[in-house]
Amino acid sequence: MRRTLTRIVIGLLALGVLTGPVAAQQKKLSLLTWNIPIYKEKIEGWIADFKKIHPDVTVEWFDKKGPEWGPFYQTQVVAGTAPDIIDTQGAIWLDYAANGALVDLTPHLQRDAAVKDYYNPKFLHTWVYEGKNYMVPFYVSKTLLFYNKTMLNEAGITRPPQTFDELLDAARKMTKGEKSGFMTLNFDWLYWPLLAMNGVELLTPDLKKAAFNTPAAVRTVEALAKATADGTINKVAWTGRWVEPNNAFASGTVGLYQAHSPAFFYVRGGGPWINGDTLGATQMPGGFATPNSHGLGISKSSKHPELAWEFIKLATSEKWAYTFGKNFKLFTGTRVDGRLMDELQKEDPLAASVMKTQLEHVDKLVATWPLGKDAQVKEAFYSEFQAAVLGRKPAAAALAEAERKVNRLLAR
Amino acid sequence: MRRARGTLLIWAFLAPSLTIFLLYRILPLLWNAALSVQTWSPFRPSAFAGLIHYEELLFHDEVFWTSLWNTVVFMSSSPIAIALALGLALLVDTRIRGRGVYRAIIFLSYPLMTVAVGIIWRWLYDEKVGLINYVLLSLHLTQRRIAFLDSYEWAMPSVVVAAVWQIVGFFMVILLAGLQNIPPNLQEAAALDGASAVQRFRHVTLPLLRPAIFLCLMIGIINSFTSFDLIYVMTGGGPNYATEVLITYIYRVAFVLSKFDYAAALTVVLFLFLLVLTWLANRVAGGEAGAVDAAE
Repeated sequence: MRRTLTRIVIGLLALGVLTGPVAAQQKKLSLLTWNIPIYKEKIEGWIADFKKIHPDVTVEWFDKKGPEWGPFYQTQVVAGTAPDIIDTQGAIWLDYAANGALVDLTPHLQRDAAVKDYYNPKFLHTWVYEGKNYMVPFYVSKTLLFYNKTMLNEAGITRPPQTFDELLDAARKMTKGEKSGFMTLNFDWLYWPLLAMNGVELLTPDLKKAAFNTPAAVRTVEALAKATADGTINKVAWTGRWVEPNNAFASGTVGLYQAHSPAFFYVRGGGPWINGDTLGATQMPGGFATPNSHGLGISKSSKHPELAWEFIKLATSEKWAYTFGKNFKLFTGTRVDGRLMDELQKEDPLAASVMKTQLEHVDKLVATWPLGKDAQVKEAFYSEFQAAVLGRKPAAAALAEAERKVNRLLAR
Repeated sequence: MRRARGTLLIWAFLAPSLTIFLLYRILPLLWNAALSVQTWSPFRPSAFAGLIHYEELLFHDEVFWTSLWNTVVFMSSSPIAIALALGLALLVDTRIRGRGVYRAIIFLSYPLMTVAVGIIWRWLYDEKVGLINYVLLSLHLTQRRIAFLDSYEWAMPSVVVAAVWQIVGFFMVILLAGLQNIPPNLQEAAALDGASAVQRFRHVTLPLLRPAIFLCLMIGIINSFTSFDLIYVMTGGGPNYATEVLITYIYRVAFVLSKFDYAAALTVVLFLFLLVLTWLANRVAGGEAGAVDAAE
């Protein structure tokens, strides 16, 4: 019995000695992406390419849908197993950056100057918090104005609106029975161009106080509330998230639709009426747009940040950025985009007319405030704004209350 | 010695369940209570904060009060569901033909996944293609389509209807079992004494159904406090918090706003509220609702 035990112990020790160095040599990276399971084959391509350069590294990939992404990432952070590389959408990264959960990529970008130059500087700048770059572009999008040409023609409107008043006038002319003139997406500040084109600023330049409670803002919100009450603006604009507004526009009963470029592919899939003769795409009046891009970053807890950076460089390299952009007809916020645009013009002129807007007026990006409390400020503002545009509160009272809430948040 | 061994055996059988209960109920509850008096996020170490979160929710957070009120309103669906279920139970307890089929049909809504129920009702309520709007317009009961789930006035009643529809079959089964446990000779004796049907229902059936009704009430209250999925799927708490209940608000605060510490304080309040309600319901039911079952 004693001899048997001794043999087992020696066997286990030998196994440990033999496998120990192998395990020590194998490094592991994990990658968490945001709702792109459809891209599986290509992500496996990234991993295969990376493995060729770093045979000692294993890369594990997870993908989570939008609503699950945040809870999953946060629980992984708590468990001490945060994914090394993350792909985030919108402004969710700000909370992580402000709380020190992400690696500052500025030194990496300074070191790899050629890589930095490869990214579109305007888009790259949207991931700067307190002077530090926390993410790099993976794929980019911003809001634009889609218009139903048939409805515009029927209403005798000859060109897309150029000002806020023209926008509401055009929308009013198109509103009839089941049809409404205007709708917008509302999540992630996507509605903000409506306020920006009226000269409304959310915060003071030092980001310490609310600056939006102005007569211009009150007038704008009152106009939006009036238009919502009389059906000019489809209520779904203020209550729906993604599916509902897209479905409403795809049904052909909405004249003007402010949304970001990925909405085009959803809408085209569900709207048989859509073709080059019936759908137009342009900038919102004033050229203002809210970005809603995807970026790649590195978790602070990563044991291999250098390897993670190498992986990000590979994933956004010319080869893979081109493959991604080509597959999804999206832009990547890199130098590849010019080539993608040229090819898209030939292959899919309608998609090209939509995507063209994504590379224009990138100096007019709004709602990019680098706020660590972005999610909370967004909630505080939108709850009051929504109450006003849906007619629950007078605009002045709602904006005053929103101002109080936002200031209180910023002061804490 | 034998008694000690018996006790040990009992504890040995109880240990697996108690361990799970301790790990998944008691410890999280204690940790949650501790978290509610700290400042903590997944990205920061914790620090003692006293009652700051409670002060915030009691004196500064309007959404907390709105969601608490909505929870109470949503809870009101329980008595409605119980009354409906009682009516249905009385109907299917009679000697009508095919009563087994009726019972099955009424019960069918209960085993459905709540998410599926939410999606079904969302389509039924849809402003453009929903069946309910189609019927209302066809019958000329309304001139314009109603955006049930996007309107402040209609959103909560619409969700309550869906909740009642789902739970009513389950309540009916509990009440039916209660009805069938009432000895027929009591009804016969009352009838012989000249009691009318209404009097027999009021003075014989209803008092003897009290434990079953209490059980339904408790399940209904607990359901209304934990009914996250139905509301999340149907309205997401909107429009503008019109259907936000405590449980959806807790989720939003924790996982959308990343304020886990504050969400913990909200959870403690939810727990206390539920505790008080259970105590009150027990008092209303005579204080010994459980003892009635035991005596039986």
